[in-house]
Amino acid sequence: MNESAVQPSRVKKGSLKRYSFKSKKRSEKIADTLSLLIIIFMAALVMLPLWWMVRSSLMKSIEIFKWPPQFFPSEWLFSNYNIKPTTFDFWRYLGNTLTIVVPCVVFGTITAIFCGYAFARLRFKGKTFLFSLCVGSMLLPTMVTLIPLYIAWASLGLTDTYWPLILPYLCGGGAFNIFLIRQFIKTLPRELDESAAIDGAGYMRTLVSIIIPSIGPAIIVVALLIFISTWNDLLQQTIYISSREKYTMAVGLTTFMGSFKNDYAGMFAATCLSFLPGVIVYLFGQRYFVEGIVMTGMKN
Amino acid sequence: MKNKTKRTNNACKEQRAAYLFLIPALLGLTLITYIPLLAVFGISLTDLNVGHFIKGGTMPPVQFVGFQNFREIFQNPNIDFLNSIKVTVVFALLAVVCSIVYSMLIAMLLNRKMPARGFFRAVFYIPYILPAASVMISWWFLLKYDGGLINYILVNLGLGKSYFLSAANTAIPSLAMIAVWTSGNLIVIFLAGLQNVPRVYHEAAEIDGANAWQRFWNITIPCMTPIIFYNLLMSLVVNLQVVVPALAVTKGGPGKSTMFMTYLMYQIGFRGRELGQAGAIAFVFFIVAAILAFILFATSKSWIYNEGGDDQK
Repeated sequence: MNESAVQPSRVKKGSLKRYSFKSKKRSEKIADTLSLLIIIFMAALVMLPLWWMVRSSLMKSIEIFKWPPQFFPSEWLFSNYNIKPTTFDFWRYLGNTLTIVVPCVVFGTITAIFCGYAFARLRFKGKTFLFSLCVGSMLLPTMVTLIPLYIAWASLGLTDTYWPLILPYLCGGGAFNIFLIRQFIKTLPRELDESAAIDGAGYMRTLVSIIIPSIGPAIIVVALLIFISTWNDLLQQTIYISSREKYTMAVGLTTFMGSFKNDYAGMFAATCLSFLPGVIVYLFGQRYFVEGIVMTGMKN
Repeated sequence: MKNKTKRTNNACKEQRAAYLFLIPALLGLTLITYIPLLAVFGISLTDLNVGHFIKGGTMPPVQFVGFQNFREIFQNPNIDFLNSIKVTVVFALLAVVCSIVYSMLIAMLLNRKMPARGFFRAVFYIPYILPAASVMISWWFLLKYDGGLINYILVNLGLGKSYFLSAANTAIPSLAMIAVWTSGNLIVIFLAGLQNVPRVYHEAAEIDGANAWQRFWNITIPCMTPIIFYNLLMSLVVNLQVVVPALAVTKGGPGKSTMFMTYLMYQIGFRGRELGQAGAIAFVFFIVAAILAFILFATSKSWIYNEGGDDQK
């Protein structure tokens, strides 16, 4: 019985050809099926909390914590998503968050490419030293520098603005991203830039017309990582932003959480809304994502 | 002779270009990383207050107070800094170990051939890209004692209900579990590493009759040790700085069971306005993190398998 269930899949799967040096043993195939089953089970487990949030956001508040719980709402109340802007001003928070995130992603990625290129390809004095400083800063917890940075921004009078959240990202977007770009460029053959140099291209020209088009996946990975880290940075957003009309999504949601009164459905709807932008961005870049990291050969 | 000057000219040009490209990194490394790192110790020796930065404030000028801030944070029972160190380190170790084991397992499974592999990879990665604050709020409701999904599942499995985030002794393990749930980034890095394990090793071992377990233990794991080390280190640094759970939902409670160091620093520095004391906390945090990282580095030599001398750092 079991055998016949496994058998047809062997014929169908073209991917088996990769292992053609040896015919596949039955035990191996049982292992494949088993691991697929485990993955399906784990994936369901991982997704369950998200489904729970979505389901709760579509129910009446009194239904949400009913015992035993329902897995599907009895009535799909999309009206829950009509949250009053006075409690959770989604569009304003989205706009505010994007005001921070977009410049961070754009300039962070560009400067990371510059720095990664210099570390990967150019020769200059102090390269090893600078590079180890850079890698070393990956290990430095950002919370250690938080107080000094706050003092610096506060003495410049920039608290309650977005500058303290944006400007640090204009500096290469973090050491890890510089490192990622460097690793990726190192996998490209040097002949590429040399031929460009023979044709008389300068460094900037080589970077823009030769290197950047060949490191697409790495650029997407870096942009996505910067997006995630700026989008998620609740601590710094809480510290620097104080006026309500400047709240970001995370700060707005936390405030809502701290003050809501039994408006559970609204709370769940707001949380689900805050999931959306990240998921959309990820689905756009997802195709390149794993490949991007794989190709950099994370070997350290 | 002429050729030589041309070459040095080119080298000069190259160097100048490199420094121009590196301006952002240089600014970042000096202004937002290493100078603040040095400054934090200086700040911890003063009585700086948020009030000093309010225009027209009436704070007395900043004073040098020596090690008084350190004495204060360690001796004031209201601050209870030692508890904070304890819960942070316990949480970090628990979260790091569990998420490394979990993500290694999932990565091994996802590395096999299976239908819809891309879809499953996305599924395991998605928790990582969700805003951390929203994730915490979601889990807060999922782990509710009355009507929470997880307790419903536990009851149906014949297990008892748990208070999870609302009891002092279960709060940290619950948060560690959530950290495991969000460790999709580790899975991706492990996957990358697994794909760099040379297939010939596996094939050779298989011909020699090694079973799956032996191949896992003698080939996959040794080849993966550098990646495991990298993930251990990075996830240690991240988890030691845990703050969002406290900031978004637990507020350090119940009791002081989730009063993480970063949250304590936030409380004292920005709620209590004592930037000097917050600086002292940050400095001690740095020492704690450095000690843990040092232990990891010191032991790493004995278990990291180095594949020849061919990968240059």
